[in-house]
Amino acid sequence: MKKVMYRFYLDYEKEEKWINEMAAHGWHLKKFSFGRFTFTKGEPDAFIYRNEFISGMSTNEKKDYFEFLKDSGITIINEFGGWVYMKKAAAEGPFEIYTDTRSKIAYYKRMLNIFLFLFFVNAWMGIMNISVFGDKVKTGFISPTIGVLNIAAALLIAFPIFKIIQRKRALEKKQQFFE
Amino acid sequence: MEDNAPLTEGVYYILLSLYEPRHGYGIMQFVSELSNGRVELGAGTIYGAIKTLVKRKWIVPFDADERKKEYVITDAGKLIVEYEIKRLNELHRNGLLITKGENRL
Repeated sequence: MKKVMYRFYLDYEKEEKWINEMAAHGWHLKKFSFGRFTFTKGEPDAFIYRNEFISGMSTNEKKDYFEFLKDSGITIINEFGGWVYMKKAAAEGPFEIYTDTRSKIAYYKRMLNIFLFLFFVNAWMGIMNISVFGDKVKTGFISPTIGVLNIAAALLIAFPIFKIIQRKRALEKKQQFFE
Repeated sequence: MEDNAPLTEGVYYILLSLYEPRHGYGIMQFVSELSNGRVELGAGTIYGAIKTLVKRKWIVPFDADERKKEYVITDAGKLIVEYEIKRLNELHRNGLLITKGENRL
């Protein structure tokens, strides 16, 4: 049995939580793309699911990392838009990708670098496209409509950036006393 | 060498587990066993640590022919572990000294 669901999460941790709730009801993630999730029916709670942002890794690094994950008993489900979903049999015990404060903070930093870059590129493109309006000089930018889309994208990216900064700060505070 | 201290619990246990050649999953299982399940290292954490440790030359790939890459600790890595043990000993000794009033060694 197959089920396709359309969901859009701005917070990737909430999305992961939802995927695990689906798994608890026996719906196991088979494939994901932009806002589209395909599940197949199986045994409830058989797997634990995790997502990871892997954009920024070179092809070789990614291959190496995926090999490593597979060797650790992890199954890669699929990769889309810089994100990967993976699963591990729940019987094999707890499954977290990052287990200490230091590596979690490093992960947040890696994410922030790319998200901030995307934010600024979109914000800048948006401003440049929109300001073609009153400008006599043809700047070569496409249209104000695309400018509005750029600004919308920038705002959508701003939300996870805010979340990641919050989470990173909380960990850094904890790190003053604990590992 | 003092600049490297203290090691994180994860790095300390990864170095200990590489006194014998092991691959990533082997490290994960060994550390879990050694700590009676208290320390469960995630694959991302181990992967990142291995890369850093290789860069620092505290560990090296062992017999690169195998598909599953194994690693083993170097002499430099062993020195770091020995230094860490001394540091942990001091913490342990002073802890007992203050809380239990045990004799100075």
